[in-house]
Amino acid sequence: MSTRARVTPIEPPAATGGNALLVLVGLGVAFLLITALLGAVKSGGNLYTESNLLYVALIFYAGAGALYMGFGVTGTAKYVNFASISTAIGFVANTLAVAHRWYMSGRPPFASIYEMLLSFVWTLALLTLVAEKKFGVKIIGSITMPLAVVCVILMQLLPSEVRPLVPALQSTWLHVHVTLAMLSYATCAVSFALAMMFLIKDNFSTESFLAWTSTLVAGIYLGIVATRFERWGGLSVTAWDVEHKSDIFLGRGVRLFVTIPELGWLFVIALLGALVPLVLYFMARAKNDSAYLRIADKAVFVGILLQLVVLAAFVMRTKDAAYASPFQEGLYPTSLAASPFILGGMVAGIFASLLYLMLLWRRNDLQHLLPSADTLDRVTYKTICIAFPLLTGMIATGAFWANRTWGSYWSWDPKETWAAITWLVYAGYLHMRVTRGWRGRRAAYFAILGFGVVIFTFLGVTYLLPGLHAYA
Amino acid sequence: MAFNVLSIPKRIYKTLANLRTGVVLLIIVVVVSALGTFILQRPVTEPEKMQAAYSPQTLRLLDRLTLTDVFHSWWFLSLLVLVSLSIIFVSVERFPNAWRFYARPYRRTDAHFRSANPYKVELPTKSAEQGLNAAERAMKKLGWPIERIADGSEQSLYSEKRRFSVMAVYVIHASLLLIFLGGIIDGVFGYSGFMSIPQGQQRNTLELKNGKKKQLPFFVKCVSAGQENYADGSPKKWWSNLAVVADGQEVSSKQIVVNDPLIYHGLRFYQASYWIDGTKIDGLRIGYAGLDSKVVPLELKTGQPVELDANTTVTLVEFLPDAFVRDGQVFKKSDSIENLAFGLDVVNRADNSSTRVWLFPAEGQVVGAENLKFQFQNPKAAKDIDFAPVTGLEVSFEPGQWFVWAGCLLMGVGLFAAFYLVHMRIWAVPVRDAEGRLVLWVGGAANKNKDRFEQKFSELIDEICSEIDKTAPAARISAQEQPRHELKLAGVK
Repeated sequence: MSTRARVTPIEPPAATGGNALLVLVGLGVAFLLITALLGAVKSGGNLYTESNLLYVALIFYAGAGALYMGFGVTGTAKYVNFASISTAIGFVANTLAVAHRWYMSGRPPFASIYEMLLSFVWTLALLTLVAEKKFGVKIIGSITMPLAVVCVILMQLLPSEVRPLVPALQSTWLHVHVTLAMLSYATCAVSFALAMMFLIKDNFSTESFLAWTSTLVAGIYLGIVATRFERWGGLSVTAWDVEHKSDIFLGRGVRLFVTIPELGWLFVIALLGALVPLVLYFMARAKNDSAYLRIADKAVFVGILLQLVVLAAFVMRTKDAAYASPFQEGLYPTSLAASPFILGGMVAGIFASLLYLMLLWRRNDLQHLLPSADTLDRVTYKTICIAFPLLTGMIATGAFWANRTWGSYWSWDPKETWAAITWLVYAGYLHMRVTRGWRGRRAAYFAILGFGVVIFTFLGVTYLLPGLHAYA
Repeated sequence: MAFNVLSIPKRIYKTLANLRTGVVLLIIVVVVSALGTFILQRPVTEPEKMQAAYSPQTLRLLDRLTLTDVFHSWWFLSLLVLVSLSIIFVSVERFPNAWRFYARPYRRTDAHFRSANPYKVELPTKSAEQGLNAAERAMKKLGWPIERIADGSEQSLYSEKRRFSVMAVYVIHASLLLIFLGGIIDGVFGYSGFMSIPQGQQRNTLELKNGKKKQLPFFVKCVSAGQENYADGSPKKWWSNLAVVADGQEVSSKQIVVNDPLIYHGLRFYQASYWIDGTKIDGLRIGYAGLDSKVVPLELKTGQPVELDANTTVTLVEFLPDAFVRDGQVFKKSDSIENLAFGLDVVNRADNSSTRVWLFPAEGQVVGAENLKFQFQNPKAAKDIDFAPVTGLEVSFEPGQWFVWAGCLLMGVGLFAAFYLVHMRIWAVPVRDAEGRLVLWVGGAANKNKDRFEQKFSELIDEICSEIDKTAPAARISAQEQPRHELKLAGVK
C-alpha cells in the first residue's frame, strides 16, 4: 500500500513537559512486575508459566493503553513511542504464552473460548503494531489496547486448563476455520478503531452521542432495577445448580430467585449516576448553555467509576456464594453464569461510556496528529475489504466442517446464524458505500455497528445462547 | 388512471428490483434470524426444556406464531425467496449497463473526457508518430498490453488490464444464488435422520427429524463399534465399522470416525454418538464351582441359558450399570457405568425351583447363592465383560450440497476479483494543447485502489518521458522549458 506518504501525520507541536504520565505508568508497570515477581519467587513456583506470561502481557498492554490514551489527551509524541514499545513487549509475552500453551497441549490454541481469546488478543496486538508502523495510524492503540486488556481480564474468569480435544474438534478444518475467524474478527476490531478515529477527527457534535450513551446506560440499569430490585435494597438473581450447570427451576418456566442483600441500592445509585448526564444534557438544550455539557462530561466520568464499582461488587458477591430465597427455604448458590444478561448489560454500559469519553478527546492538536479524515475513511473501507472475504472464508470453512461432523452444512445454530448476520451487516456496509456512496460519518457508524455484532457473535452467543457450537 | 391489473406484476418487479427494497428485506431477515436465536427453537430443544423455559401460555403463543421454529417456517422461506428474487431483479436491472461497459470498452477518448479525467499528463512531442512510438515502447517495457486505435488518419493507443474485475460483483451475486439453489434442492429433495444400530446387527429404518420413519433400499450393518478415552476419562474417539448390505451382499464397508463419514449412493452416515446397551451383555466370563469345589470357567450371554449339570441351567437375565445392595435386595441407582451388577437365574428342573444370584464385581460380592450347591465367581477384569455397544448414526442425503460448495468457491473467486483485482486503463492520444502545441495526452483510470494506480501511472509517465528523450534530443529543450509532466489529481479520493 502506498498510503504511507499521505498518512504520515504532521509533526506534533513541541511537547510541553509531559513526563508525569510516563513516570507514573513506568512506576506502575515496574511495581506490578516486581510484586508479581516477588510473589512468584516466594511461592517457589516456576516463573515461565502461561499465567505469569499472560500477567506480564496484561501489565504491558494496560501500560500501553494508558500511554496511548495519554497521547490522545495531551498530544505528547513521546508517549506514543513508549506506548509502542510497551505494546511490543506485551506482544512478545503474549506470543510466549501462546507458544507455551501450544507446546503443552501439542496443538494450536483454538479449542476453547479461553484459547480463542488468547489467539484473538495476540492477533489484535499484532495488527495494532502493523497499523501503527505501516499505516502510521498511531493512536489506534488507544482503542485496541483497552480492548485487549478487557479480553485478558475476561480470560481470568474462564476455565483455562488444557483439555484434550473432543472428537468433533479433531479436524484440520478446525485450524483453518479458527484462523480465519481470528483474523477476520481482529481486522473488524481494527476497522472499528479506525472508524472511531474518524469520528474523533470529523467535526461532529458529541452532544447527541452523550445523550445516546447516557440513555443506553440508564436504560440498562433501569431494566435491571425495575425487574430485580427487592424490598430492603436486595437484588434478586437466578439460583444456580452447580452440579447440572443450569438455572434452578421451581416449576414450568419459573426460575428460583435468591436475593443478594444491599446490592440493589448500588444499582439504584448507578442508575442515578447515568441519569445525571442525561438531565444535564436536556438542561443544556433547554437553556442553550454549554456549561451544563461540561459538567455532564465530568458526570459521565463519575458514572463510569460508579459502574465499575457496581460491577466489581456484583462479581464478588455473585461468584461462588449462597443466599436465601424469599420463595423457598434454605440457601441456594448463585454464579456469574446464572445472570448472563445482567453481566452483559453492565459490561456494555461501561464500554459505551468509555467510547464517549474517547470522543471527547477531539482536541485541536489531536486532530493534527491523526491522518486526514478522508484517509481514515478510506483505510476503514480497505480494512473491511480485507475482513469481509475473511469472514466469508470463515463461514464457508465452518459450513464444510459442520457437514463432515454434524451431517449438515447449515443448521441455523445461534453461532452460525449470528455469523451470517455479521456477514450481512458488512455486506450492507459495502453495498451502501459502493452503490449509495455512503462515506464519512454514516459509513463510520456502520463500521462501529458491524464490530458490535462481531463481539456479540464472538462472545455474546457463547455466553447467552445455547447451541451446538458449545466449545467457543 | 384506472386500476390496471396487468401492471401489478410489473409493479412487483419494479419494487423488488429496487435496491432499497433489497436492503429492507435484508434488515427483516437479520431481525428475524436474531429473534430465532433468542427464542428456544424446536426440534433442537427437547420438549421438556421448552416447557421448563416458558410458561404454558407463552409457549402456546410462540408455537402459534411459529416463532419456536423460525428457520423452517413457510414465511421465513418466503422471505429468503423474496431476497433471492430481489438479488436477481436488481442484477437484471443493472446488468445491461455493466455488460455494455464490459463488452464495448471505451477505447477512443473525446475532448470532454480528456479534460475531465483525473489522471492525465500532457507531454510535448515533435510528431504524433514519435510520441506514440515512445509511449508504445514504454508500455511494452512495463508490461501493458497495447492496442493501436486508428480513427481515420488519427491514431491513438489504448491499454487495459483485468477488465474481468468489473463483472466480479455479478459473479458474487450469482454464487450467492447458487448457494441458495443448493439449499432449496436440499430442502425439497434432501432428508436427514438418525439410526441406532447395536453391534452385530443390521438396520434399514431411518428416524427422520420430523418423527416419521423412512425405509432405505439397503441395510447398514454395525460390525463393531467402540470408544477410546483420554487419560482423564473424557472421550477421545468414537469409531464404528460399518458395512452396507444390499440383496444379502456386502457392497461397501468402512471404519467411520467423527469427522469422516461413510458415503453410499449419496447418503452419508456420520458417527454421531455411541453408548452401551444398558440391558444387554454380549459376553460375561466368570467362574463357577460345583460340589467338587473345582472352579470352571463359564461364559454367559444375556438371555441364553447354559447347562451347569443335567438338571440345572444358569441364565444371565439382568444387567444393572449402577446398583447397590440393601437388606439383601438389589436396587438400581443410575444408568451410568459405575457399580455393575449382573443378575443370574439358576433354574433347577428337578424341583422346578429358580434362584436369583447377583454378582457385584466392584466389591467382589455375590448375593443370593448361599443355598445353592454351586459357587459363582465374579469376572476378574474389565476384559471379561463384553458390553453390547450401540452406534448412533446421523444420516443425511443432501444432493444440493455440491451447488453450495461450487457457490462457495465461485464466491471466493468473485470476492478476490472484486476486492483485489483492479481494472486499469491507459490512453495515449496526440492532441494540440491550449496553446496549439502538439502534445501526447496520456490518461489513466482505475476502478479501485487508486493509490497503487497513481504509482503505476507515474512510473509509466517517467518511462514514456525517457523514451521521448532518447529518440529526440531536440524535444528535451521544450521539455525543460516547462515542468516535464504534472499529475493532475483533481477529484481523486
